[in-house]
Amino acid sequence: MLRCQSLRKTFDGVHALEGVSLEFYSAGISAIIGPNGAGKTTLLNVITGFLKPDAGQCFLHDREVTRLPPHRIARLGIARTFQDLRLVRQITVLDNVMLACPRQQDERLLRGLLHWGVAREEARNREEAVRLLEDVGLKHEAERLAGEMSYGQQKLLTFACCLATKAQIIILDEPVAGVHPEMISHILDLMLRLRNDGKQVIFTEHDISAVRRVADEIVVMYGGRKIAQGAPREVLESPQIIEVYLA
Amino acid sequence: MSTQTLLNTLIAASEYALVGLSFAIIYVVARFFHFTHGAVLSSAAYVAYTAKAQLRLPLGLSIVLAISVAGLLGLVLELGVYRKLRRRGATKLTLLVASMGLYLVLQNAISLVFGDSVRVLRDLSHDKSIVFYGGRITNIQLWIILTTPMIFTLAWATLKFTRLGKILRAVANDSELANVVGIDVEKVTLIAFGVGSTLAGLAAVMISLNVDMTPTMGMNVLMMAIVVVIIGGVKSLRGIAVAAMLLAAVRHFGLIWIGAEWQDTTAFLLLSAFLLWRPQRLFGLPLRRASV
Amino acid sequence: MAYLEHILILISIYTILAISLDLLVGHTGLLPISHAAFYGIGSYTSALLAIRLGVPFILGLLAGMCIAGLLSLLVSLHALRLREDYLAIATFSFQVIAFSLFNNWTRLTKGPLGIMGIPKPDIFGATINSSHLLLALSITLAGFSYAVITAIASSPFGRVLHAIREDELFAQSLGKNTFKYKLTAFTVSAALAGAAGSLYAHYVTYIDPTSYTVPESILVISMVIIGGAGSRWGPLVGAVTLVSIPEGLRLVGLQGPAAANLRQMIYGALLVVTIMIRPHGLMGKRGFRP
Repeated sequence: MLRCQSLRKTFDGVHALEGVSLEFYSAGISAIIGPNGAGKTTLLNVITGFLKPDAGQCFLHDREVTRLPPHRIARLGIARTFQDLRLVRQITVLDNVMLACPRQQDERLLRGLLHWGVAREEARNREEAVRLLEDVGLKHEAERLAGEMSYGQQKLLTFACCLATKAQIIILDEPVAGVHPEMISHILDLMLRLRNDGKQVIFTEHDISAVRRVADEIVVMYGGRKIAQGAPREVLESPQIIEVYLA
Repeated sequence: MSTQTLLNTLIAASEYALVGLSFAIIYVVARFFHFTHGAVLSSAAYVAYTAKAQLRLPLGLSIVLAISVAGLLGLVLELGVYRKLRRRGATKLTLLVASMGLYLVLQNAISLVFGDSVRVLRDLSHDKSIVFYGGRITNIQLWIILTTPMIFTLAWATLKFTRLGKILRAVANDSELANVVGIDVEKVTLIAFGVGSTLAGLAAVMISLNVDMTPTMGMNVLMMAIVVVIIGGVKSLRGIAVAAMLLAAVRHFGLIWIGAEWQDTTAFLLLSAFLLWRPQRLFGLPLRRASV
Repeated sequence: MAYLEHILILISIYTILAISLDLLVGHTGLLPISHAAFYGIGSYTSALLAIRLGVPFILGLLAGMCIAGLLSLLVSLHALRLREDYLAIATFSFQVIAFSLFNNWTRLTKGPLGIMGIPKPDIFGATINSSHLLLALSITLAGFSYAVITAIASSPFGRVLHAIREDELFAQSLGKNTFKYKLTAFTVSAALAGAAGSLYAHYVTYIDPTSYTVPESILVISMVIIGGAGSRWGPLVGAVTLVSIPEGLRLVGLQGPAAANLRQMIYGALLVVTIMIRPHGLMGKRGFRP
């Protein structure tokens, strides 16, 4: 369970987060919506350790993770994508996914150099990576340089990388933004599949129809605060929320 | 604490502050460490020397020529090299490496033409000095100490009250945003190079009138200026001035305990300590690794 | 023939410097300006151990590597946390401080006078005097360094370095402790530079601080970039190119201090030209920028 308490973050006088407290329970898909500048991405960055809050705490399974560096938080089982698509474009799709495979002994310099058991672990990870690529529908692009794929395919790749980390909690920052409708459906299906596999998915989005299709609960943010959290029907039809979006 | 040491500190602080300001003007807009600035400084001094000693032009004209050439050199570097590289998506590091290459070319060109031995610009017979509470200060040194605060005040006023100043500050704070509101960032960058290099020319001339010149004089003072600008904070006039005083004080008063040959080391140890412990202090830009 | 062998030995030494620097520049995307400092630390360690304590070459070489690697922590521990251009400044500071120590700590290093009479390399008691054997030794060490760096680059460790080069935040989001990777790479790079220093010291038998300056660091950076950062053969090609040029000048009759200036001008010009018209260097792949 992921919990945030009274998070506060200010940039140059802009109050990005003003006392945000949230709880995400263990399974299911949670959507975070809100207009630009509401603080959605800032919240994600604080949760995943890329930003340190000015005040407040984050807890993962009751363990405080507020000030941990991002790689530690990732290792505790939280994978994420970024709003500005982050990848290694100069290497192959397959290499990107293999990069994401957890707990690689070979990444230790000496073992990698002297090839103690390298080949075996690499082969295992490779098989796993290929299987993942097949699952998301990118197997045929495995040997292509990641930078050569289309935007939608790259988004799919970042999704595959999240899966490869075997994280329990997957955080997606605008997973279907800028992507054509077919790909949107595909990605939403993948998210549903994750939920059915018992994973927890948290995502931010502007596309409300996409949110409606997959979200089990919706969190609404506005001006750095959480103003609503609940089942989609209640939240999306509440007059207060409609006013916020039209305001 | 002798008056002489205090005077020396003031003179050095003024030099660092002036060169620092000239460098900072370029850095806040162009956003990379333009090492060639060291060669711009040296070039100005040598142009003055050529004009006066070789072409026998009067000192005043030589100085004007030197300052103009420096400004021009800055513009040429920006138009001929950096702008082209930036348009091709060059990173800060690429620009930095290019500036190092350009520095090597220019500085060695000066060495080739003039040799590495010291060249004198000032008229040794005209060297007048005043005695001030037990310390001696020459004419030019007095000029340096008096001009620097004037230039800083001018800079402050320009930044605060003029349109150019506001535009410069906008670009320095957030060039993308500045672009969005219609500011021609490329033109501002060119102006920054022009102004910064011209100011460097002035500083170089004053320094060489004080201590004569060698081809590496520009880089020598630039190194100290970079320390000053980083510690003081690139966007803060006050910070640069304070840091300049601090560095000059450490170097000159430190002579009591450490030999002159360790001055550079102390300056860079100071910088390293600063980078280690307080990289966000003193009004500066964030130095730590980028975050989302 | 002896002259050609001399050039090849110099090329070998610079190859070690270039390939070890490329681990950071080409594979990790860092730009340290301190490489000549570690080169010098290796030289001085090895030379002083040999002269003062009669330490044989191989042990001196290893000591040079260890000391260089260890001292690299003095800069990497704080510099690697800084943004890319501030890393350059921090390593530049270290380079200046190192030169200052070589030049002014006269009790240890004899300062500008330098250290004379460094013994030629000896392997298990047998002194290597002939130019043929010295060349063989140099090429072996260069080959070894090349093999090590290439192996690192194609290993899973190298894969993480490449990720760091392009997008450090992405690498962190995948659970990689990027600081630790950069630190390890930096230490390896410094140690190999120290090895090159040791080889150099025992080959030329006289060293002084002027070989370990900022322009020297820039020279190695130039070799890496002109050859092609991150490419397999780039550092070698860069070393060959930039060592051949001053020798070429010498053959045309240009000597003395003017030649030194001209040489640096050529390095600088080649560096700028490369960056402007062919940033991936002579051997690099198109589209790759350091």
